[in-house]
Amino acid sequence: MQRRLPLILVLLTGIFGAITFFIPHHALQTADAAMRNDVQRIITAFGLVLGVGSLLQHHFLKIRRKMENWPYSYITIITLVVSAVIGVFGGLDPTKPGILPTHIAGFSFHIQTLFTNMLVPLGATMFSLLAFFMASAAYRAFRARNLEATLLLAAAFILMLGAVPLGRMIFHPLPSFAEWILAVPNMAAKRGINFGIQLGIFATALKIVLGIERGWLGGGGGK
Amino acid sequence: MTAQDGTGRRNFWQKLQAIDRRWIYLVVWLVVMLPLIFPFYIKPRPTPPTEKLFQFIDTMPRDKALAISIDYGPDTQAELQPMLVALLRHAFATHHRVGMLAMVITGLGLGEDALRQVTAEFNAHATTHDDSVINGEDYAFWGWSTPPVTVILGMGENIAKVFPVDYYGAKTESLPITKHLKNYGDIGILVSIAASAFPLSWINLAQTQFGVRLGCGITAVSAADFYPYLNSGQFSGMLGGMKGAAEYEQLVEERMAQNDQVWHLRMKGTEAMSSQSAAHLAIIAFIIIGNIAFFATRRRKS
Repeated sequence: MQRRLPLILVLLTGIFGAITFFIPHHALQTADAAMRNDVQRIITAFGLVLGVGSLLQHHFLKIRRKMENWPYSYITIITLVVSAVIGVFGGLDPTKPGILPTHIAGFSFHIQTLFTNMLVPLGATMFSLLAFFMASAAYRAFRARNLEATLLLAAAFILMLGAVPLGRMIFHPLPSFAEWILAVPNMAAKRGINFGIQLGIFATALKIVLGIERGWLGGGGGK
Repeated sequence: MTAQDGTGRRNFWQKLQAIDRRWIYLVVWLVVMLPLIFPFYIKPRPTPPTEKLFQFIDTMPRDKALAISIDYGPDTQAELQPMLVALLRHAFATHHRVGMLAMVITGLGLGEDALRQVTAEFNAHATTHDDSVINGEDYAFWGWSTPPVTVILGMGENIAKVFPVDYYGAKTESLPITKHLKNYGDIGILVSIAASAFPLSWINLAQTQFGVRLGCGITAVSAADFYPYLNSGQFSGMLGGMKGAAEYEQLVEERMAQNDQVWHLRMKGTEAMSSQSAAHLAIIAFIIIGNIAFFATRRRKS
C-alpha cells in the first residue's frame, strides 16, 4: 500500500489534469480550478516547509559531524534566519516599516537594502566569473581540428562579432549575417531538437502517470 | 644553430599553448574594465526582433496594458535589468498601464529597484497628475506567487485572485488599476524577461489557452533557443542579451524625444556595449592565438 497509494494518486491526477483540457463541462472545470488554485498551492506550501527543514537538517548534520567546509553551514543557517525574520517582520523599505526596527542610527538593514547590497553583488560576481572561464576555455579548447570544428569556429566568430555594435563597423553586413545564422540554420536544428525533447517529455510523463517509471518513489525503484 | 632555433620556436608555441590562465584572466579583466572607466559609446542599430517588440508596444491601444514577468535574479541582472528599465520607460512614455510580477523570488527586489528608478525619472518631470506615474493607478506590482502553473493559468481568469495583495501589501481588488486590468483580456502583451526557459511556460500555458500576445527578453547565450518561437510568431518580439537591451534603449530614447522628453537618462545597456565589444574581440583574439599555437606545434611534431 505504501507504494500503491502514491501510484494511484499520480494515475488519477494525471488523467484528471489531461482530460480537463478536452472537456469543458462546468463541474469538471470548477474542480480543475480548485486543484490548480488551492490544492497545488497547499502542496507547494508543504514543499517550502520540507525544503527549509531539509536544508536545516543537512547543515546541522554537517556542523555536528564537522564535515568538509562545515563553518560555511553556519553562514547558510544565519543568513536564512536573519533574512526570513527581516523579510517577514521588518517591512519592505524605510517608507513602509514593519513591526521590527530595521534601523540603527544611520545604518539600515531592511530587506531591500540587504537585497541590493548583498544578494545583487554576490549573484553578479558569481555570474561574471563566467567571462573569465569562457575566455580561458576558448583559448585552450576551441580548436579547428576538423571540418565540423572549423564550421563551429567560423559561426562563433560571426555571432560574437555580430552580437556587438563593433561588428557592423568592421564589416557592414555582419550583424545581418549573424541574424540569418540564428534565424535559419540555428532555428532548423533547434526545431528538430525540440521535437525530440517534447516527444521524450511526453513519453516520460506517460510512463510516470501509468506507473511504468517509478524512480520518483525513491529507493531506486525505477523499472 | 638551426636545431636550436627549431627547439626555441617549438618551446615558444608550446609555452603559448600552456600559458598560465591568470594572464588570460588579467587580459579579460582589463578589456572589460577599461572601457567602463574610459567609456567610448557605440550606438547599436536595432535588429528586427527588437524593432518588432518596440513597434508592437508602441502601437498597442492605450487601454491595453503591458505586463512584465521578472523571471531572472541578480546573477543575470547586468544583462536583463536594462531591458526592464527600458520597457518601463517605454510603457510610461506611451501612457500604457503596467502590471508586473515575478516568477523568480529574487526578481522582486530587481523589480522594485527598476520601478523606483523609472517612476522617479517620470515624476521628477511631471507637472500634472496625468504626467505622474502613480502606484495602483498607472502600474501595479503584483509580487511573487507560486507554483508557476497556477499563476499563469490563474491570471487568465482573475489576476486579483492569483495575487490577493500586491507587493506592497495593498489589496489588489481595491487598486484603481484593477478595474482596467482584470485578466489576460486587458493585457496587450506580456513580456517575460528571463534567464531560463520561463518564456516557454508562458507560451505553453498563457498563449495556448488564452491567446495572450507574448514577447521575451533573454540572455545572449540562450537567445538561440528562442528563435523557433520568434519565427513562428509565438513571440511578437525578442530582446537578446545586452545588445538587445541597448537597441531597445535607443528606440525608447528616440520615442521619448518625439514626446519632448529629452531627459538624458542613463542607459546602462548602451554604456556596456563598449566593454562587451572589447571582451568579444579579446576572446576572438584568444581563439586565433590558441589555434595558431596549436597548428604550429602540430606541424613541428609531424
